[in-house]
Amino acid sequence: MSTAFARTLRRAAVATLMAGSALLTGCASFYVDTATRDVPVAQLKKVAAPKPVAFSFEFKSRGAPNPRATEFLQAQVRDQVAGSGLFSAVNGGSDSARLNVELNNVPKEGENAFGKGFVTGLTFGVAGNVVTDLYECKITYLPPGQGAPLVTTARHAIHTSMGATGEPANAVKSANMEDAIRTMTRQIVANALNDLSQQATFN
Amino acid sequence: MTASLLRKLGLALAATVALQLTGCATPMGAPQASIDNTTKLRAAAIAPASLGSFTIAPGKAAGMDQGVSLRGTKVHSPYNESFSQYLKETLRVELDAAGLLDPASQAVISGTLTDSEADAAIGTGTAKLGARFVVTRGQTVAYDRTLQADASWESSFVGAVAIPLAAGQYQGLYRKLAGQLFDDPEFRKALARPAL
Repeated sequence: MSTAFARTLRRAAVATLMAGSALLTGCASFYVDTATRDVPVAQLKKVAAPKPVAFSFEFKSRGAPNPRATEFLQAQVRDQVAGSGLFSAVNGGSDSARLNVELNNVPKEGENAFGKGFVTGLTFGVAGNVVTDLYECKITYLPPGQGAPLVTTARHAIHTSMGATGEPANAVKSANMEDAIRTMTRQIVANALNDLSQQATFN
Repeated sequence: MTASLLRKLGLALAATVALQLTGCATPMGAPQASIDNTTKLRAAAIAPASLGSFTIAPGKAAGMDQGVSLRGTKVHSPYNESFSQYLKETLRVELDAAGLLDPASQAVISGTLTDSEADAAIGTGTAKLGARFVVTRGQTVAYDRTLQADASWESSFVGAVAIPLAAGQYQGLYRKLAGQLFDDPEFRKALARPAL
């Protein structure tokens, strides 16, 4: 196979991937809700003597493990926890405390995202819609030994507008879906970590 | 030449689109220790254990160990394409996270996969997982019980939504089954720390 032909095939495949992705995502805009905002690290209650923790993160969809989303966000959340100043390290062994961050994507009650998207697509975008994805973050800190776990939670939302519709209220537009997800994750984890740092029995 | 090029391009495009839209086989994600199970194990006051062999139960079709089909998409284990090995790995990470895994321990946990099903049916999805767990100390059987976990959930008629959700629900059963084992008072008794 000639180099030129291989290049043509490669370009065609890339173009198709992009076209396919556009078809799958549709003409949508993504907005991060403003009810949950960033919490600067400086706002977290300082820990006098941070200890190591065995960190774990899991993304769930409707309560079920979502390995791909977990892999996509794991490094970001790990870096955020490591940079929080609450722990001396995040790679503690089995005898250290455990910190589990769980991010669960739950549907908004009574909302049928596919149905809304289908109607928008069927009308070529004339019947615009806004779909809201809710996220719940649960941070569980388990002290070494047999101590009782500390649990903090936070909630967030991403709004997706499709077709001809106005911008959702109380939300900031993101450049793309990845940016929206990463921003939501950073903000929701920051809030749950802040709540953990304020617990009287934490560290 | 042009016709051949177009034909090859067409095939490449069709294959790429097909890959994007379907994906014919999906490996499960690696098991993670759950904080709930770590809490249970740390509170159970049990001694460290090692893991023995994990296989499919005698008389069961080999296919049961190799995958579950969700609307034509095969979900399989990343460990030798064997769900029984996935179950072993699940127990390994759970015990390890609680500091209760000791390959030199005389207490050995073994398992056989007795049931493995998942269905991403339109309307309600269902999944179940069963295994027989045996704890031995030398020639003595200290525990022998078959446990089963199941799940049901609202399942979309859109495959792109229903299949990943069903795969996640099925994967979650391994953790649930391990949790049932750790909750079992007889299992705890079998692995109880010797009195000082």
